[in-house]
Order: sequence, then C-alpha cells, then structure tokens
Amino acid sequence: MSLTAGLTNARPDLVETVTVAVIGTGAIGRDLVSKIDRSPTLDCRLVAGRNPESAGLRHAESLGCATTAAGIEALLAAPNPFDVVFDATSAASHREHWPLLEPLGTLVIDLTPSKVGQMVAPTVTGVAAESARNVNLISCGGQASVPVVHALAARFPVTYLEVVSTVASDVAGRATRLNLDEYVAATGHAVTTFSGVSDVKVILNISPAVPPATFRTVIHARVPDADPVAVRAVVDRAAEQVRSFAPGYEVVACTAVDDLVTIVLKVTAHSDVLPPYAGNLDIINAAAVMVAEQYAARPDRVSRMGVTS
Amino acid sequence: MKQLVIHDPTLRDGQHAVRHQLGLTALRRYAEAADAARIPVVEVGHGNGLGASSLQVGLAAATDDAMLSTVREALRHSRLGTFMLPGWGTSDDLRKAIAHGVDVFRVGVHATEASLAEHHLGFLRDAGAEAHCVLMMSHMASPDELAEQAARAVGYGAQAVGIMDSAGHFLPPDVTARIGAIVEAVDTVPVIFHGHNNLGMAVANSVAAADAGALIIDGCARGFGAGAGNTQLEVLVPVLERSGFTTGIDLYALLDAAELAERELMPAPPVTASMSIVSGLAGVFSGFKHRVVELSGAAGVDPREVFFELGRRQAIAGQEDLIVDVVAELSGRRTDG
Repeated sequence: MSLTAGLTNARPDLVETVTVAVIGTGAIGRDLVSKIDRSPTLDCRLVAGRNPESAGLRHAESLGCATTAAGIEALLAAPNPFDVVFDATSAASHREHWPLLEPLGTLVIDLTPSKVGQMVAPTVTGVAAESARNVNLISCGGQASVPVVHALAARFPVTYLEVVSTVASDVAGRATRLNLDEYVAATGHAVTTFSGVSDVKVILNISPAVPPATFRTVIHARVPDADPVAVRAVVDRAAEQVRSFAPGYEVVACTAVDDLVTIVLKVTAHSDVLPPYAGNLDIINAAAVMVAEQYAARPDRVSRMGVTS
Repeated sequence: MKQLVIHDPTLRDGQHAVRHQLGLTALRRYAEAADAARIPVVEVGHGNGLGASSLQVGLAAATDDAMLSTVREALRHSRLGTFMLPGWGTSDDLRKAIAHGVDVFRVGVHATEASLAEHHLGFLRDAGAEAHCVLMMSHMASPDELAEQAARAVGYGAQAVGIMDSAGHFLPPDVTARIGAIVEAVDTVPVIFHGHNNLGMAVANSVAAADAGALIIDGCARGFGAGAGNTQLEVLVPVLERSGFTTGIDLYALLDAAELAERELMPAPPVTASMSIVSGLAGVFSGFKHRVVELSGAAGVDPREVFFELGRRQAIAGQEDLIVDVVAELSGRRTDG
C-alpha cells in the first residue's frame, strides 16, 4: 500500500499517522478517499457505506481500505475509535451521526451542509480545529465564495451579496439533490458570517449540459462607487491564497460597473478520480483533508502519540 | 366531451418579457379578469419562480409575498398557482406560499433531472398542497426518457406531471410522441403541456398534446412571454373547444382579459422575430438571444450560425459562457478560411 511505503521514508517523530474513517460513498466520498490515500499523515482504516454494490466501496477496496456496507454502526463498533471521521453523507444523516460520534472524542469533519459544526474556509478561518470536535466545510459554493466575499467586505462597504454556483449534473449525487435547501441555508449563513453582510442571496444550478459545465461560482455584490482596479486586486489576492490548496481555483472575470461588482470564479479539479469539471468536489475535499492533516501535525497530538508509541 | 384544465401562467412566464417588472395593480387587474373568465388556475410570481428575484436573472418589481397576496385577493373562482425551481426557491418559500393560500405548485426541473424535485415534491405532498412537476427543455430528451422522468416525479409525490417546450422547438408529431409516452407511463395523474411559439406551432402543439391525452394545458394572454412568447390563451381555448374538448372558460370574458393584458401588462404583444425562429429551430434557450446578438456583432459573425452551433452542442440555460467559445471558434474559422 502506498501509504505504508510513504511512511517508511518519513521521520516517525514528526509524522505520526492519524487513523481515519469515511462515512458516505457517493461522489464526494470517493474523491475524499483518494485524497486521504495520497496523504502521508492520514491512514484510512474504514470506509462505511449503506449499499454493498456501491462503486464507492469498490473504489475504496481498490485502494486497500477496509470497507463496510453496515454504515455508521460498523464504525461505532470498531474496537478503537478513529482519530478523525469524515462525514460525506447528507445534512439530515449528519445530524443523526453527530450525537453518536461526539462521545468517542473523535474529530468529526463534516462535508454536508448541516450547519452543526464550526465552519472552516481554510484561507479565512485557518484549518486548526482548535477545541472544536465538529468541523463543518459549509458547501462547495461556500468554499468558492467565502474567501472572496470575506476579502471584499473587509476592504469595501458591501451592502448586498449574491452567490450563484453551477455544478455539473453527474457530479451532483443524491444527497446533494435532496439537500438543496440546506445548501442554500448553509452557504448563506457562511457568507453572512464571514462578510458581515446580512442581505445575502444564494442560488445553486445543477447543469446537465454536455460536455459537463466546469464548477463555477458567480458573486454579484453591491458596492457603492466600486473602483474596478482596487476590486480586482483584492479578488486576485484572495484567489492566490485559495490556490495554495485548490490549484484549479481561478478568477475568470471581475467587473465593477457603477455600484455592481460581478466576479466569476471557476474551479477545475486536480484529482486522481475526478473529471476536471468536478471542481465543486475537489475544493471542499481538499479543504477537509487539510483540516485532518493540520490535526495530525498538532504538537499536543504528536507528543501524545510519541508517548503511546 | 373531454374536460381539460387550462393553466394560465401569464403573470409568471410573462414576467420574462418585462424583466419581472409587473406591478401589483397590473397583477390584480389581470387576475380579476382571468377570474371573471373562469380560467381554472392563475399562476403568479417572478419569471423564475419563488425566491428567484436576484441580480443573476433580474430583481422583481414586487416581492413574492406581495404578488401572492395581491392575486389571492383578486381570485374568487380561479385557483392560485405558483412556480419554483429547486436551488432557487427553498422549502421556506413554499411554506410561505402555502400560508398565502396557493392552491397549485409547479416545481420545474430540466427534462432529465426529475430527482432535483424529489425533496420539494415530497415536502408539498406532506403539507397537503397540490404539486405538479414540469420537465423543462423537453425537446432535449427522448419520449422514453421523458416518460421515465415523469414516472419518477409521480413517485416523489407529483399530482400532475408534464413537459415544457421551453425552446419552442416541437412540431405536433414530436408532442404526440412525447405526451403519448408520458400518459402511458403515468396513467394515474394528469399530464401537462406547456408550449412556446417560436415556430408558430404553440396552439397546434397544444391540440396535439390534448389529443394524445394531456389533461392540463398552459396558455398566456396574447402569448405573453419572452421572445416569441407562449401559447396564446385566447386562441387556444376556442380551438380546443372546436376540437371537441371543454374548458369551462367564458369566451367573451377570456377575450376581454386578453385585451386588458395587452393594454396593461405589456408594451407590445410578443412577435415571432427572426432570432426567435432561429433559436426555436436550433432548440436553444431563447434567453441566450441578447448575448448571442451582442457577441456575434462584436466579432463580425452571423448570430444565426452561433445559435445553430449552440444547438449542436446542446447548450442549456446557465451555460452562457459557451456563447463566447462558439463566437470565438466561428470567428477563427472564418479568418482561417
């Protein structure tokens, strides 16, 4: 297994692996498992789904991960709790999972728009879980928009924000389709929280276009007397920071006419298992894996591991 | 005589033609006239439905709340309808609309994406509201595919299901095949047809739909709608009656309502302009028109060729960025040649 091979070269006192489990084997879970597999500090011990026939479970097996179709129950029944559990199911399922996971002391990284945990957008909040045991990745549109709306509102007197995202149909799984309301609510909540702007509108388009549409997020902002050059500089700086973990993140257009600012962002996926247009999954999973890796590198964790091992 | 239900989205789909700027007085005046004509369902809202007022597609002149309560008060006989697109509107919007006394909800999804309506159809069913599911841009899917999607929508709780000819692309035999397949697949619920008039076929297509078993037919006063407009309601109703269907609508009052609509809702009735004919032939969303014309003009390419190429690429609403690609490619091809 590539993970073990990577570890033999690592200095054990600096890189202790954390044990990881993933719940959910849909489009997001599959890419997540691949990213975890590539990470030198994350050791994927279990992938839990509900459907024994699911392609996601087979994919996890092909990477050498243990799998189960018995869902979260199998995860709870494991002899040792996992250090980190990624929840890639649905908002409603996560609300059921969290009370079951909380007593285990596990760090739970939630990729659903449940609004339960502490919101993370890496370039804005950092990725340190601090004391939170439940970290929430908001939504794909949240990951794409929050860095820009945060930077805009910090610099300009923004009075209104609108975030319109387009996701290709074949990378919008059933949970996403059932969670459109939750997506809108969680994304809107994050935009307001990180911009301070209360008048916010969020829209999600699922596009069945062929060839598939690359994930994009358009931000419309009302900014009195916006200076196009100053706006562009702020947006470019924010995008540069996001590219540190999501290299396919780019500003396609940025205009300011009168008080109306329009910013078009596109995210291309850089992934083993995703088509390039699935930037929606790539950006949220890349952020989630960073949270876990940061947790693995925490000094208190490393020293604790040092004592026990 | 077979009874049809005529569904009138003049005050919703017509909004596209006036950038969602219908005022409350206009809404009330037309709703009263439609009610007097005994049109069974009067639909109102932003053109893209509940919660859709936005910089992205246009801010509405009135809020959803104000539009719904104004039209509710104006209707004594007709039922009140509204529309929503999942991802644009939410269950909160549906909840508020129920509180306003909306009788009929239309949940719209792209022709191949019925599963996007699963949550909201279930929500409406559980709330005891009448929910319809409409498959938009239906010319992009085969009769079998549409039948399968329609059956799914019924499984999710739709109490009526049907198709919109959003690009105005169909000819009557296309409609006959599609409505026939859907009627066969969902024999427990009524089937809907919603036409557009890009090729002057909206009334003929609607008659074909009724002949094939559709029980709910949409039409707008004077065809009020974007581009070439919708099926012209005051033509549709008497033609259906002559074809052997009953609608329960009072013809003279219907003609009066159409006069009022022309005077008070629209600067001018829809015209089948050249570019609408091309977008209908190409099967491309008519909302692309302005950008196609603008970008083609700047690059010196024929906008008609751009539309046909967009049709070959199966462009759909939301993919406006493809226009840029196509214009650039056609422009390059011409230079190379």
